[in-house]
Amino acid sequence: MSNHTHSHPKFAVVGHPNKGKSSIVSALSMDDSVQISDTPGTTTKKRSFPLSVDGKIVYELFDTPGFQRARRVLAWLEAHEVSADKKQEVVQAFIDTHKEDERFRDEIELLEPIMNGAGIIYVVDASKPYGKEYEAEMEVLRWTGQPSMALINKIGESDYSKEWKKALEQYFKMVRTFNPMQVDKAQHISILESMAQLKEEWIAPVKSSIKLLESYYDQMIDKSAYLITRLVYESLTFVDKLKFNTEEASEEDRKKIEKNYKEKLRGFEKRTQEKIEHIWNHDHLEIEENILTFDGMDLFSEETASIFGLTRKEMMITGITSGAVTGAGIDLLFAGHTLLLGGAIGAVVGGVGAYFGFDELSEIKVLGQNLGKRFLQMGPMENRNFPYILLGRNLYYTSVISHKSHAKREMIHINMDSTFKDKWLDDDLKKSLEKYHKLFRSGKEVDAEALKAYEALIKETLKKLIDSQEK
Amino acid sequence: MDLKSYLNLFALLENPPTTHEENRAFGLSHQALKQKPVKALMAWEDSYVSTLPQPSLGERFSSYLYGTTLILGVLAFILGVLSGLALLSYSGHEPVNVIYFIAMVVFFPLLTMFLTLIAMMRTKRNRSLLVHISPAFWMEKIFSLLPNQTQKDIKELKINPLLLNWIMIKRSQILALLFSLGLFIALISIVVTKDIAFAWSTTLHITPEAFHAFLNTLALPWRELFPDAVPSIELIKHSQYFRLGDSLSKTMIDNASELGEWWKFLACATFFYAIFLRFLLFLLANFGLNRAIEKSTLTLPGATKLLREMNEPIIRTHANNEESVFVPSKENYEQLVHTLDASYDMVQGWAIGKENLVVLNDSMQIITPEFFEVGGSKSLEEDNEILAKSHGEVLFFVKGWEPPTMDFIDYIKELSLKVDKIIVVPVGTAKNNYKIDTSAVDVWDRKLSQLHEPKVWLKR
Repeated sequence: MSNHTHSHPKFAVVGHPNKGKSSIVSALSMDDSVQISDTPGTTTKKRSFPLSVDGKIVYELFDTPGFQRARRVLAWLEAHEVSADKKQEVVQAFIDTHKEDERFRDEIELLEPIMNGAGIIYVVDASKPYGKEYEAEMEVLRWTGQPSMALINKIGESDYSKEWKKALEQYFKMVRTFNPMQVDKAQHISILESMAQLKEEWIAPVKSSIKLLESYYDQMIDKSAYLITRLVYESLTFVDKLKFNTEEASEEDRKKIEKNYKEKLRGFEKRTQEKIEHIWNHDHLEIEENILTFDGMDLFSEETASIFGLTRKEMMITGITSGAVTGAGIDLLFAGHTLLLGGAIGAVVGGVGAYFGFDELSEIKVLGQNLGKRFLQMGPMENRNFPYILLGRNLYYTSVISHKSHAKREMIHINMDSTFKDKWLDDDLKKSLEKYHKLFRSGKEVDAEALKAYEALIKETLKKLIDSQEK
Repeated sequence: MDLKSYLNLFALLENPPTTHEENRAFGLSHQALKQKPVKALMAWEDSYVSTLPQPSLGERFSSYLYGTTLILGVLAFILGVLSGLALLSYSGHEPVNVIYFIAMVVFFPLLTMFLTLIAMMRTKRNRSLLVHISPAFWMEKIFSLLPNQTQKDIKELKINPLLLNWIMIKRSQILALLFSLGLFIALISIVVTKDIAFAWSTTLHITPEAFHAFLNTLALPWRELFPDAVPSIELIKHSQYFRLGDSLSKTMIDNASELGEWWKFLACATFFYAIFLRFLLFLLANFGLNRAIEKSTLTLPGATKLLREMNEPIIRTHANNEESVFVPSKENYEQLVHTLDASYDMVQGWAIGKENLVVLNDSMQIITPEFFEVGGSKSLEEDNEILAKSHGEVLFFVKGWEPPTMDFIDYIKELSLKVDKIIVVPVGTAKNNYKIDTSAVDVWDRKLSQLHEPKVWLKR
């Protein structure tokens, strides 16, 4: 007998071999560990992908092997011709009879979750023409009596959707088109909404799953914003030291500390990007080393600076405005008796500082000369453009990762140009960010509130970026 | 919330003993602390501090801090007593000049307290000059040169500057307080054990009236409570002292019994300026340190992550179990046909209709007397009928874009028992003029290679 004791909605993704069932499961469960290949029979066992909150399953998705001997199953079922109300029992009898039969291993694997109450999501590939051979498996599914929908998987170039739709509508009350390779939050939610319609009692739990999923997306943005904040903060405040034993530091020592300093900052960025991949459940990304450095565009290269950083002019304007704001504070303190000189001086100081601090990363200082333990010190970061470069690169990286479908297995292609900067950085944001960058560079202790406020700015920017790409 | 807990939390966060799930369970069982992050972190620290190697970092640091503070405190107290004795040293020939003592118990504390207040406002700075010029800072630096394992551990510990500055400020207040207590005790001891004649003397032209007014102002905090502890104008006049000449003035000698009365003023000044105000500053430093610990707790590496793990529901969407790795066969099918013959005994198509088979034959210029559709929508009985008729060499068309199923394999196995040779020909869609991608043929290649059937050949 079918088992309906579990209250949460369940959905079995079934279909012909190699039609993208695993891709769909991978995209909907945001799990890139699912094996996907063009070889039929890659999925040999059903696999459960529960959406759980604090361990409580809200809904469950099953990836299943494809039908291998659908005609034989149908022949067995039809040999037990019964009235419609007994058909489910016949399917269950088929499972019970053939449990140990190796020939029907795949059919048993895919029918079991259905007979345990899972709704059917029947997947077809719209890039390939419809064939009558599919009818046997659709008929078998009809025998199970479970609510069902069809998903037309649009992954290829050719499009046979129309003929598929006509055929599928004969068997399924709902037919949807879905491309697992280009799934975003909106599409993900839209498919879940369709799934909810399969059974009245699933509407409420699936709707709450949708809410959860939305907060899950928010969590991922939150966590990414936190990591980017820490990256900028740690990179700007990082200080590297190198001991030397000679009277004077050699040019080689200076080069060495600069190299070490840059390597450490690259390391910070790399680790952050790995954590971001983990947050977005892309633990199995195939990324070559050069992708991490943005296709050869090193963190410190001029090309990177030209794409992600501010121009010298923009940097000066930012310096002038933030300097003027500080100076204006002094004017305000003296009730204008300074004849607004504070603002003017602040602007000049800010602008000049920005102009001269454009190219240099950080001064290399020789410390401890009098105490006998001489060492070179590099950092904290003085380059005013660097935080914008770092932010730009990592906001960009996160937005790419956040939009990468978990069903995609190929390498990430990063195509960007200087217009990306315009997508996230406006004058107001520049002004707000600069205030914190200045604080980070100052060497003063940065309290949790300041970091929180900076993180909020990053989160808002990241959210806008991700949302804008979905539109 | 104290330094010990802060350091233990720091050590726990470096190697967290809990999983994400455990942290969430902790958050759920401490819902009341959701809006109180510092308390939540402390409660977590309290629950897991026992997992740290004992003695814990917090205990080691606290006992080190307590030990050094105690030693430095004793030294400061002794220094205070000795300074008091030196300032009040009285040979019986010359009176003790109160100006020195007033400077030590009023002006010096006021100056250092002022600097401390400035230092308190600049605690966020990494290198606070005012903290670095504190005697406590340097005394400890000297102290740290002594070999000690704990010091080695502590040097490796990176405490944030805000906290370090506040620790130093608080420590300075304790030492200054003990130094002042030393001065106070020295004053009382000398007053009790000796008969001291106090006087005042300065190079500046200050009249007794002006000096009286000045002292009256200094005595403002206690003059209502202890009027005797405010020097009268007469006492000031009688105790003015000029060092020129070998002998004391007659007025002083005549009023020798009054000169000792200064001690009350000095004791009150010491108590109020050097001890009471310093104690207030110590309380302020203590408050500042506690606030700094709270603030620093939230900036500890890992603290935000831990709070997030406690407060955010764990949402999981992926599989709980690992998938067994599928290794596709790398075997290549060896029975390949590259060119088709002009004729075959029969043509069969797997889920391909008769009409299409005729078209396919025409397009490949193949002559065959019989065409049969098998598989697909045909029943197993219909397939068996065709199997029974099968003989000779069979050209077997399959939809190349569809992967071979076991249903097909079953049929091919049966067919191979009936015929001499089967040539499987994967074809493309009509739209593509029946041309098929190599990758699709590869799929058939791999499947047939598992079949190990000598009669089955693949057209590539």
